[in-house]
Amino acid sequence: MADSSEGEEEGKLTGGNQELVVDEDLQEMAKKAAWSVSSCKPGNGVFSLRDDNLETYWQSDGAQPHLVNIQFQKKVKLQLVVLYVDFKLDESYTPSKISIRAGDGFHNLKEIKTVELVKPTGWVYVSLSGSDPRETFVNTFMLQIAVLSNHLNGRDTHVRQVKVYGPRPNPIPHQPFQFTSTEFITYSILR
Amino acid sequence: MEAILAECVRDNLRHFVHRNAIFMCERLCAEFPSETNLQLLATCYLQNNQAHCAYQILKGAHMAQCRYLFALSCFQMDLLTEAEAALSPSDSSTEVPNGAAGHYLLGLIFRYTDRRESAIHHFNQALALDPLLWTAYEELCILGAAEEATKVFDEGASLCIQKQYLHIALYSQNMRESGEDHDIASSRNLGSSDDSTRQLQTQGNGQRDISRNNHGAPSSQPLNCGSAGLPFYNTPSPMATQSQLSGVAPPPLLRNAQPNGPNVRAFVADNSPRQTVNPTIPGPRRKFVDEGKLRKVSERLFSDSGQRRSMRLAGESVVNTNSFLSVSGNGTSHSSKFLGGSKLTSVASRSFTYRKGQSWTNENAEEGIHHEVHDDSRSSIAATNSSQSVDSRLLEEEGLSRSSGAATLSCSRYNDGASEILSILRFLGDGFRLSCLSRCKDALDVYIRLPQKHYNTGWVLSQVGKAYFEMVDYLEADRAFTLARIASPYSLEGMDIYSTVLYHLKEDMKLSYLAQELVATDRLAPQSWCAMGNCYSLQKDHETALKNFQRSVQLNSRFAYAHTLCGHEHVSLEDFENGIKSYHSALMVDSRHYNAWYGLGMIYLRQEKFEFSEHHFRMAFRINPLSSVIMSYLGTALHALKKNNEALEMMERAILADKKNPLPLYQKANILVSMENLDGALAVLEELKEYAPCESSVYALMGRIYKRRNMHDKAMLHFGLALDLKPSATDVAAIKAAIEKLHVPDELEDDL
Repeated sequence: MADSSEGEEEGKLTGGNQELVVDEDLQEMAKKAAWSVSSCKPGNGVFSLRDDNLETYWQSDGAQPHLVNIQFQKKVKLQLVVLYVDFKLDESYTPSKISIRAGDGFHNLKEIKTVELVKPTGWVYVSLSGSDPRETFVNTFMLQIAVLSNHLNGRDTHVRQVKVYGPRPNPIPHQPFQFTSTEFITYSILR
Repeated sequence: MEAILAECVRDNLRHFVHRNAIFMCERLCAEFPSETNLQLLATCYLQNNQAHCAYQILKGAHMAQCRYLFALSCFQMDLLTEAEAALSPSDSSTEVPNGAAGHYLLGLIFRYTDRRESAIHHFNQALALDPLLWTAYEELCILGAAEEATKVFDEGASLCIQKQYLHIALYSQNMRESGEDHDIASSRNLGSSDDSTRQLQTQGNGQRDISRNNHGAPSSQPLNCGSAGLPFYNTPSPMATQSQLSGVAPPPLLRNAQPNGPNVRAFVADNSPRQTVNPTIPGPRRKFVDEGKLRKVSERLFSDSGQRRSMRLAGESVVNTNSFLSVSGNGTSHSSKFLGGSKLTSVASRSFTYRKGQSWTNENAEEGIHHEVHDDSRSSIAATNSSQSVDSRLLEEEGLSRSSGAATLSCSRYNDGASEILSILRFLGDGFRLSCLSRCKDALDVYIRLPQKHYNTGWVLSQVGKAYFEMVDYLEADRAFTLARIASPYSLEGMDIYSTVLYHLKEDMKLSYLAQELVATDRLAPQSWCAMGNCYSLQKDHETALKNFQRSVQLNSRFAYAHTLCGHEHVSLEDFENGIKSYHSALMVDSRHYNAWYGLGMIYLRQEKFEFSEHHFRMAFRINPLSSVIMSYLGTALHALKKNNEALEMMERAILADKKNPLPLYQKANILVSMENLDGALAVLEELKEYAPCESSVYALMGRIYKRRNMHDKAMLHFGLALDLKPSATDVAAIKAAIEKLHVPDELEDDL
């Protein structure tokens, strides 16, 4: 079961960066995960979400909500979801309300975050952390990104890229904490 | 016709016109099929990096030299069983062809087929036959079975060398006489003292016979080429460039009239790592110690003289050639800088080049008197210098030597020369042996005792750098390697270690510059791609780093460090299976590569297979018993196995081994905490705090301990300090959670 903060959190996000800038101590977690979508138009499938190409996009083809499902092989700690969406390019296909759910599988997903996008134009960062420091990470088997509605009431949606980030593991195994100073780090590895 | 063709082929080989050599040789073999000519053809192919061709034509050959070349081709093509069969067939009546070189090749074969004892036996044999076969000693050190350098490079070795030189000297005299350097000889004789001339002539006569004999001798030119092949093989060894150069021992040239110790050693000059073909022609290894091998030696010299002839024809000064040939002081004369007779005296060992382009002498000039045969940089410098300057200088030297000359071939001179070479070799050998045994401080002490001009060479400086690297003194290592780069900017020896040093120091600018320079220097060297890989790894781009390391492995699968680095990257990408495979590959190449043992230990630690982990760390520890890092990890593994007392003991040793390493102290505190000795742990951490005041985890651990002791204020203070030092996100979460729980002591602590 995913750890989560109670209830939904409303948040409006506007704008968006053109550059993807992420903290050094975060790493992309979903390279080996299983990605799937609720529906897609032929030629604009789930692959376009992960191809590192902002020209290609996933286009849904069915009823709302449109879902992007990410299933991991083991429970992972996640901290950040980043989407590339662009109102200028996609207009009525641009997602407007997004809900992020987590759980062990399709049967027990629970919403952990909701955001509303207002005319986004690039990379949009959605943090999964709660207010409690104990909730910095979401520890889960599965993540689901649900597009609940689009701008201008569009039916289908375009999403150009999705990335999921979590903390880097401790490079030194069997340690209570990670090392920060150069002396410790230098002596902690033999290369 | 046969003679003309053969001479033409040899000429072409000397000038590196391989295609013509191969073509002509094929005509020769078609017209006069014989094993000798086949040998020559095989030589051409080997020189042209076509080992498979040589392999095909030499199948089933019987002559000693042919068998040697065949074995060489097999080795290059990785057909080790056939190589072994060729060198030492089951009927043990036939001895190993080519003496020292043959034993060396056999040793390599045994090493790579995991028969350590036999390998050691053969390397020792090789060294006994030819004490200047440094690479054999290197291999012994790598196998961890080398005797002390003083025992190997001692008086007996000195006598060996002298005998060799004597033969060569006589032979070269003969070469001279045999007409090529006719005019040279005469001009030279003009200057030389009567005695020397007479001596030369008498010796020359004797030599002529020998040379004529050699002409038809089975152990002919291919010998040179054979030896050429060896440097080729040295490439794969970890000491790639170095071995290559050192592998090529130039034919010693005796100088009669030289006042100084002659020990002339011709080097194959341009032994650039990739040009394995070139070096061998002129300066094949001196493998011929036995009388019986004199012919081989002579033959080689003959080819050398032929070379010289062609050199002359190519317009070099006659005197130059002559000086190469003439026994009377050629050796020294090669060292172009010896303009004064007095200077000549001081020169003990001289490296020589016969061929044009082998401006060893130039190197001599630059470096001063003593030339260590195996000096990497020297050879490189020599290669780059023009022969022209050499020529003129040689001329002068010639004159000087002649005039100064003690006429008689004096054994004492050889003696001096031999012992001087050996004294240098003793230092280098000892240093190398000690650093292979991971006794780095001792190794450094040995190296520092080398004369300045030898110390300031690429090879020695990078060995020094390696020693500092093993002692985890990265700043000193950086300094040493920088000097090494200045001394020989084209040499790639040890540059992989340098890139790791820069990686540790997090110098990404320097590292990327180094990597680019190395790749530009030599795209086919494994070290260049190791450096490139380290560059990417530093920027946390582990996939690209892995690709680069894999490229390095492809270029040379016998380069253990490349495998280990691949392993490290696999682990960073959390791909433990492939990591284990890579580390095992590294260990197959070099079972004393303790980095690979360490890597395996780390993987098992991560996978919580603590017994495996302890075993592997212990293996690493056995190989390198002075490394505090290994000791601290061994202690960690023991701690994980709940063997707390042993763990503590190991930590104490680690603390003693290297005062600058904070980790063992930290681990000790950890262990004490798990043994419920909270006060002890706190004491250790207080001490550690003094040493490393900016380490967040120290405060975090202290905070945790205070929390357990219910000293909430102190706990709060330390948690706060820990947070100030910007720990990682996970730790921030953990610490903040701990702070929250400080005031709810009965709540179950989950992650703390």
